[in-house]
Amino acid sequence: MDSDTDGVSDEALLSGMAVGDDRSGLTFVRRYQRRLFGLAVGIVGDVGDAEDVTQEAFIRIFRHAQVFDPRRGSVSTWALTITRNLAIDSIRVRRGVPTDPEDRVFVELMSTARLPDAAALASENVSNIRSALGELPVDQRRAVLLAALYGRTALQISEGEGIPLGTAKSRIRLGMARLRTTINIEEAL
Amino acid sequence: MSEHIEDPTSCEEFQEDLTAIALGTLSGRRRSEVLSHVESCPQCAIELEQLSVVADAVLHLAPEEDPPIGFELRLARRLQADAAPRQTNRFRRVSYLAAAALIVVIGFGVGALVGSQNTNNTSPSTTANLASATLSSHGQNVGEVFVSAGTPSWMFMTIDSHSWSGLVTCELILANGKVENIGQFGLSGGYGSWGAPLTSPAGQVRGARLITASGVVLARASFRA
Repeated sequence: MDSDTDGVSDEALLSGMAVGDDRSGLTFVRRYQRRLFGLAVGIVGDVGDAEDVTQEAFIRIFRHAQVFDPRRGSVSTWALTITRNLAIDSIRVRRGVPTDPEDRVFVELMSTARLPDAAALASENVSNIRSALGELPVDQRRAVLLAALYGRTALQISEGEGIPLGTAKSRIRLGMARLRTTINIEEAL
Repeated sequence: MSEHIEDPTSCEEFQEDLTAIALGTLSGRRRSEVLSHVESCPQCAIELEQLSVVADAVLHLAPEEDPPIGFELRLARRLQADAAPRQTNRFRRVSYLAAAALIVVIGFGVGALVGSQNTNNTSPSTTANLASATLSSHGQNVGEVFVSAGTPSWMFMTIDSHSWSGLVTCELILANGKVENIGQFGLSGGYGSWGAPLTSPAGQVRGARLITASGVVLARASFRA
């Protein structure tokens, strides 16, 4: 369960939002706006587009707060997934053809160096995931990030990277399989 | 659900597609075929669940970042616009009220900020009793302070000074010359927003200032009488 220092869990906030508790909505927005915007701007690159994406994500979260099912995952993952999918849609509409992401987030996550601020503030689980990603061979790490963050299919990765389709599929599959063995699934998020 | 257990050797052909489903990159007929297989294959169901956890975990790695100033108000307006046409049942009406209430809470704080940036401002009526003043530091605009008259009266401020992190104290200067300390909040990388109820009448507020722990006035604002 995600909770903040005020002790109110994300799930409780969603329940409050579903029945019209304005404080719950405000707390939720303030709790998540930096995370969702950070992810959005990392994917779409442009601040204005990222704000649009983040706002649309919040609208969908408000709209569906009453049907959120905690058995299917954490609120944070749900919110991040909504944001990620909207960001990918935004890129597709705007650019048509995916371009090579060279934004700060991608470059940072490709690096094996420790992130200066984010890593220091990140939870232990997130740090573990970061470490596991950093231990992947660079080709696999890149393929996994392109797929997981940017929604690239194996075909798009093969075309973008100039590699055979089978190689792209292998990099994704092997990278994900290796992450699965190094991440504690039960405590991943 | 079928009790039939698939031959594990036949599962190999699904491995790459299970990964693609977990990553959200497989669609169409093939996705349906794979999910149909998963329904009857506990081994692949576990595989997909675990791969999905891994794919979700990557999303948590993106660093946090502050959205632009005014984000909350623009969001509140969009929430209101989104909810208005969908008042078809009790829950929708409640959600609409929640969005409207969010505007009351957020709007009085950031509404005038957006208004000051947009001459075609259509601020909600909830901002009618708002007074706003620019927060300045060394001659530069670094944010806004808003005071809302009501029961209770509130103040809200947003600051983006790009220069300072740490706790700051907010003081209000009243018409009778008194200085009222109304609380502290944190700035991160020069950015922060904060609100608090007022103990004095909103109409008596003539100014506000933010003071660092070492006593340096970081920014100040003046309200017209």
